[in-house]
Amino acid sequence: MTTTTVSAPAATMRDGYKDYGSGEAAVRALDGINVSMARGEFTAIMGPSGSGKSTLLHTLAGLDNLSAGSSTIADTVITDLSEAQITEVRRKYIGFVFQSFNLIPSLSAKENITLPLDISGTKVDPAWFDEIIGILGLKDRLTHLPAELSGGQQQRVAVARALVARPEIIFADEPSGNLDSKSGSELLAFMQRAVKEFGQTIVMVTHDPTAASYADRILFLEDGKIVDEMREPTADRVLDRMKQMGH
Amino acid sequence: MFRLALKSVRHNPKRLILTAFAVALGVSLVAATQVFTNALSSGFSDLFEDIYSGSDVIVEAAPTTDDEAGDPFAAAEGIFTPEEVEEIAAVDGVEIAGGGLQVDGSVLASGYADAGATDSLSGGPPSQIFNWVGDPRIDQATLIDGRGIESQGEIVLDLDAAPALGYELGDEVAIATLDGVSTFELVGTIRFGDSNNLQGATLAFIEDADAHDLAGDPNYSSVSVVAEEGQDLDRLASDISGVIPEGTRAITGEDKAAEQTEELNDVLQYVDIFAIAFGLIALFVGAYIIVNTFRIIVTQRTREFGLMRAIGVTGKQIRRMILLEAVVIAFIASTLGIIMGYLLALAFSWLVSLFAGDIFGTLTLPLDAVLWSYGLGTAVTLIAAIMPAIHASRIAPMEALRESATSGKKPLKVRNIVGAAMFLVGAGVVTLGLYADFERPYIYVGVGAVTLVIGATLLSAQILSPLAGAMRPALWKWFRVDGKLAANNIQREPRRSSNTAAALMIGVMLLALVATFTESLKTVVTEEFSSTRADAFATSTQGAMPYGAIDVIESVDGVALTSSIGFSQAEYDGVAYSVAVLEPETASEVVEYQSDPSVDDLGSGEAYIDPTIVDLGVEVGDEITLTAGENDITLEVAGTLAREGEGNFWIDFATGEDLLGEVSIVQTLVVYDDSVVADDADNADSATTVTEQTELVQEALAEDYPLVFLAQPGQLEQLANTFIDLLLGVISALLGSALVIALLGVANTLLLSVTERTREIGLLRAVGLKKSSVWRMITVESMVMAVFGTVMGMVLGVALGSALVLSLADFGFDGVTIPWVWLIVYTVAAAIAGVLAAVWPAWRASRLNILAAIAADG
Repeated sequence: MTTTTVSAPAATMRDGYKDYGSGEAAVRALDGINVSMARGEFTAIMGPSGSGKSTLLHTLAGLDNLSAGSSTIADTVITDLSEAQITEVRRKYIGFVFQSFNLIPSLSAKENITLPLDISGTKVDPAWFDEIIGILGLKDRLTHLPAELSGGQQQRVAVARALVARPEIIFADEPSGNLDSKSGSELLAFMQRAVKEFGQTIVMVTHDPTAASYADRILFLEDGKIVDEMREPTADRVLDRMKQMGH
Repeated sequence: MFRLALKSVRHNPKRLILTAFAVALGVSLVAATQVFTNALSSGFSDLFEDIYSGSDVIVEAAPTTDDEAGDPFAAAEGIFTPEEVEEIAAVDGVEIAGGGLQVDGSVLASGYADAGATDSLSGGPPSQIFNWVGDPRIDQATLIDGRGIESQGEIVLDLDAAPALGYELGDEVAIATLDGVSTFELVGTIRFGDSNNLQGATLAFIEDADAHDLAGDPNYSSVSVVAEEGQDLDRLASDISGVIPEGTRAITGEDKAAEQTEELNDVLQYVDIFAIAFGLIALFVGAYIIVNTFRIIVTQRTREFGLMRAIGVTGKQIRRMILLEAVVIAFIASTLGIIMGYLLALAFSWLVSLFAGDIFGTLTLPLDAVLWSYGLGTAVTLIAAIMPAIHASRIAPMEALRESATSGKKPLKVRNIVGAAMFLVGAGVVTLGLYADFERPYIYVGVGAVTLVIGATLLSAQILSPLAGAMRPALWKWFRVDGKLAANNIQREPRRSSNTAAALMIGVMLLALVATFTESLKTVVTEEFSSTRADAFATSTQGAMPYGAIDVIESVDGVALTSSIGFSQAEYDGVAYSVAVLEPETASEVVEYQSDPSVDDLGSGEAYIDPTIVDLGVEVGDEITLTAGENDITLEVAGTLAREGEGNFWIDFATGEDLLGEVSIVQTLVVYDDSVVADDADNADSATTVTEQTELVQEALAEDYPLVFLAQPGQLEQLANTFIDLLLGVISALLGSALVIALLGVANTLLLSVTERTREIGLLRAVGLKKSSVWRMITVESMVMAVFGTVMGMVLGVALGSALVLSLADFGFDGVTIPWVWLIVYTVAAAIAGVLAAVWPAWRASRLNILAAIAADG
């Protein structure tokens, strides 16, 4: 795989700080984060509980505001945007996969997948749609409601939804966290394929070394700071690194 | 268990706010009514005390049993001769006895003849004209200005009326009576009682002889007695009883005031029942909201209950806990309702006193109101909470372990069967109540209607769910993804959605029912007035048409003929029936009466009978005896009438005079001479128009009979329709509270389902749904439910209204008129209301913090 370093990064953060609460009870969740997510790269963010990895994901994605610093999505500085404008950015450039409850219960799998396009009023590209659901093996499941799908299928529908609008970047928050290991690794393999074959950018938060090993690069977070970075990871290397961090 | 229930209420008060408010609103209507009528009662009881407190003993006609609580202010017939008054005065212990006599008449405003009187078809406040006794205790009048009456031709007015009518001391005051207009010199003004609390009426006194002249009665109708000091009034009353004629009685002033208050309370009780009925409707609607709220809360707390069950709490205990929660809510809501009701009564009495003067006593909160409010509020809340409580008690411990609280997709089959059964039974019972001759038909109609409505509610889930599905493409087209999601949300919880819509359905159903009825009534009225050949209707704004006025009308050039109609009551076979007195020679010239044979043939000593009497088994050719007072007459039944509602018996004037003495004329129909008067529409330049002719007649009457007004049929039709609209307006206003509650219900359901769908909404926002779209989604959901409830309500209401109208065919209802305009108004209003009801839930939903929402415990 040839990585192109010419194009601008999909998402960046400069001097990102995030505080919760104030005074004595103040907690610093992000403590001077400088990070850049290159296009077409699969990044995993790892760290122990409370290290601020979820906060980093949320602030990068514009779901939460930074206390100080700035962040960009597709060259747009989102830190100063209004709520409505950030919503617009999310709709245009970002796809999400959450740990659970990814789908609207009253919509069929297909409707869930096309939801972002429906919201923005964009037409579905049928070829692209067919390709995604072909890869994710959802062809027979399209008319089913979420309640009629297995956990793995539900997460695949969520990934399909994230992919369908070809977003600038996909944020995934423990996407395999609720799945058994087989479904989990299948899902992560799909995500990896999306990065390799379609040049999709993905940022994933996880605490599972095996899941992280599917990524191109891993950022290690501790106490709101990026303490290490690992390229071409394997599960064993990740595990060793985590042990050093007191895991 | 109680502590747990209380904690649960305290822990999550938001979800119960609207529920409590819905109960409170219904309760407030009940409380307000009672506070209001209580104040009205105490206001009048003060008045009665004022009236009777001066006299220690009152001698008057003994009340007869069939003489129902009549108008306490109407003039009574004279029964005491001046000699009898003297005899009463001679009884030991009597200081003074004064005969009282009231004149049937009206004090006219200054310059009455010049005023454009033709426009005022309804008279002003009534006048009370009495003979002047000269003793302030008996007259109940304190002289304020000028002097008392000393000779004939003088008058005193109460201090408020004199300026209001435009008179100053020394002016000539005009009084209109049946015989024409008389004038008196104003010599003084008086204050009635302590505060001139006259409920808006004009009080006037004239000299004793003048009063006898005007009343056309040499006798007094009552005698007021002031006792010498230290007398035992009860004994004095019984002493006086010994000297008064048969059929009269002596009663102490105190007892009389109490008696009058009691009679008034009997009347007010009907007001209470009427208004409380609307309060109950409001509470019934509120019950739907309570059911929904508890149902949703139970669903949301499934895991909690499952956990409780797992650690050993019994189902019974859970049920008890929920019912206790209901009691806590009911208590808070009822308390709130009582406060709101009191404020409502306060506001309303203030509003009324702006127009009608100070007619209320102090507004107090009667114990009755408090008990009723708590009782009804608690009963309704508890009954509504029973089903959800039972449901909660059946939650299995396993439910605690479930991943998410997805409500089971139970099929609607049982609900449909129960709903259909209730609907049919309800319809059957209503029909029975309307058509079968039961002792208390309204109980059948009421119970049947409630059953029918609950049945319709249960069935509506079956309609609403597929309907929402069917509307998906349309909503998708109009509102894109927001519309589709809204349709899905409705479809997902058919029970909840249909209960919500049903609450609105009930209010709208009643509105549509009333609108259908009043609209049909208007059609009847229009037909009635268009079937008349009379050019004008003459009526008196106070009491009967004076005979002299008829002579005046007939003497005007261009008047072809008049035909007068009188109404009275007479007993047949011991039961009171209405009797219409007509002029057969002219009656068919003015109205197309439907009788067999024609009304022309009605002769003296004959009577026509209506279907009510026919139903008693009376036939043409039978001899019947009518009784009025002491008169008996035997008549031959010579014909039958096609309809009810125009008098049970028809007789002519000669027979009427035999039976009733003087027939009091309700209205005189006037026909103009076609050769002189042209229709307004013809617009012939030379001829006088009907309007001009009517003005001519009115002018002729102005001098002597200013209280007689002529109205053209079109005007009367308009007036009647105005009254019908007013009726519709009053009932709509009373139903308003039920509608507001229903809308609160929509808001409440949405609010709770927004809470339930927190994660879903968070997710939608995360993938890029704008706040405005979230708002629109909730609004569409609300509008669909509101419009659905309204349409259901209209269908049911028009159907029930039509049934009612058809069942009244005997009263001249020819057919059903569907109030299309109103139906459109209701639908538009429902859509707007839907938007309004969505405001709070939509605001909450659109402001949800995305991160918190996604992380929410679903």
